[in-house]
Amino acid sequence: MVSNTKKVKAKDFDIVRSAEEKRELSFKDDICIGCGICEKICPVEAIELGDIGAIIRTGADEPKIKIDEDKCVLCGMCNVGCPVNALKLKIDDEPISDMDIYPHYISSAEIDDDTCVYCKSCETACPREAITIARDLPERSKLVTGEIEIDKEKCINCGICEEMCPADAIDMEHKLPTSDDPTVASDINVDKDKCVYCLICKKVCPVDAIKAVCRSCSYGVYDLKPEDAETKGSSFIDEEACVNCGWCQEICPVDAAKVEKPFKGELSIDTDKCQACGACVDICPCNVLSFPRPTKPGEIAEKISKDERYCIYCGACENVCPVDAIDVKRTEIKHTPTKSKSWEKKLESLKTKT
Amino acid sequence: MELKVNQDNCLGCGVCVVACPVNASISPEVAGGHGSKTTEVIMMVENGVIKIFSPEKCTKCGTCQLFCPTDAIWLE
Amino acid sequence: MCSYYTTIYIFCFFFLVTIYILYVVKCVFNTHGVQMPKHIISGLKYLAAVELIRQGKSQKEVAQMLDMNRSTVSHYLNGRNLSWNSIKIAKVITELCPRDFLTLTYALMQENARIVVKTCSKKEYKGTVKDSCIGCGLCADTCLMKAIVLNDLKAQIDSDWCCGCLMCGEACPTNSIEILEVKNGF
Repeated sequence: MVSNTKKVKAKDFDIVRSAEEKRELSFKDDICIGCGICEKICPVEAIELGDIGAIIRTGADEPKIKIDEDKCVLCGMCNVGCPVNALKLKIDDEPISDMDIYPHYISSAEIDDDTCVYCKSCETACPREAITIARDLPERSKLVTGEIEIDKEKCINCGICEEMCPADAIDMEHKLPTSDDPTVASDINVDKDKCVYCLICKKVCPVDAIKAVCRSCSYGVYDLKPEDAETKGSSFIDEEACVNCGWCQEICPVDAAKVEKPFKGELSIDTDKCQACGACVDICPCNVLSFPRPTKPGEIAEKISKDERYCIYCGACENVCPVDAIDVKRTEIKHTPTKSKSWEKKLESLKTKT
Repeated sequence: MELKVNQDNCLGCGVCVVACPVNASISPEVAGGHGSKTTEVIMMVENGVIKIFSPEKCTKCGTCQLFCPTDAIWLE
Repeated sequence: MCSYYTTIYIFCFFFLVTIYILYVVKCVFNTHGVQMPKHIISGLKYLAAVELIRQGKSQKEVAQMLDMNRSTVSHYLNGRNLSWNSIKIAKVITELCPRDFLTLTYALMQENARIVVKTCSKKEYKGTVKDSCIGCGLCADTCLMKAIVLNDLKAQIDSDWCCGCLMCGEACPTNSIEILEVKNGF
């Protein structure tokens, strides 16, 4: 008889069936958000969602889902249903996510490098740490020009200019005076790559040993090449970690990030039932929920606040809420077409019945 | 997973009783820091130590474990 | 001198005795132990070869299909190198219920079983797959006749190869397979 084998690596596992073709389902616990969609979509009830609240909040040593390898038929519905690719089915080493015969969610997250100003807001805001912005700052020396010279004969090595320099461009080699060489410094130099020609050193020098002039000021900004002032860079979104929550799109000041979410829906919280235990806040993979802070002492803030712009309607909060105060409705599911009626039906079943 | 307690560690402070969202929805006065008026709640302090009354009501959200100062209540 | 020949005689004598014992052991164990399934296989192959020739296949094609060499095919067709006993047993096997016929033949000759079963089976089956099929491929993996392929996430049953063993239907997690007997050759 054809049977499955299971390989467990810490909290991750692979289920394999090798016969006419090799089917391999792998689960990655660190990617899993504990939403329970796989449990809902599995046609043979082989998947059991763990106690996600306890697992995520108390760091329990347990995987977020369990799959009974004797029940699993390796059909791949959990792979297609998973909104974050924590479950991956490969058939003869080809991931079904690359096969057109399987339906897939229509979702994407992109940052347009031409529009991006590399402010890193999205990198900071991304709840999954999926974004990396690498930026090359322009060279300071190209943005300001001038001349500076220290008359070492006149210089009394007081060190005032070194202490005052806002750009740390002046470097003095301090030393203890000896009978052989009774000076307090052996040398003083200006690093012209660092100097911004602000002329503070010139103004503070007690013996007028510094001659400096700022050319940018007298010529204005026209002296600069605009391309020298440009910050260059590149953006990277880790597709494995990205959950298409929309934080990058909403926070981007120049509209460079575009996110397409697979689900549309509605998130409602019954604040009368809510006991503010924080389970949903801790579980939400998209930082949709938070506890508002009182603005002044003694003020009673709202129990919990939400911003649906970041919600992916995965339903993890609804599952974890101990007092049934959360209701997540999925009204639309965007996926590529499939000829299989049973797959179509299963994907439709993820919608909330109205 | 099961809710477990270690009465030897318990200080009887009742923080878990008050923090538990299920307790608060069963017996609203515990949300205000008051002791429960009913033994319908999941856990209560009795004779100075924590005691579990209705483990089947626990939804394993982990709130009690997060708040317990002495690790006397946990999910395992 | 005399003792030299005696030694050679004794040596030869023991040598012959050893060979004889080995021969007897081989006969006893091989014929009634290891050789037995091989006899049945030749019986099954004989029945298949006769049927294939009747269907108009050439000896060369038959040899290829049944994974034999051509001279063996010709011997078999002329009734040589075969015991009538094994043909009798093979005939009984082909008349078992489809699953027993298939599993027994598969145990005897693995990959070659499907052509023998297809050729010697007198019944015809038609398999239909319902829309509830999820395309998990369990039926295709289970089918020893390799009669099932997946097409657009749905199983497709090739009636030419289906032998009616119903193992696919038992493996199906969604009960989507229906196999019906459409012709009974008996």
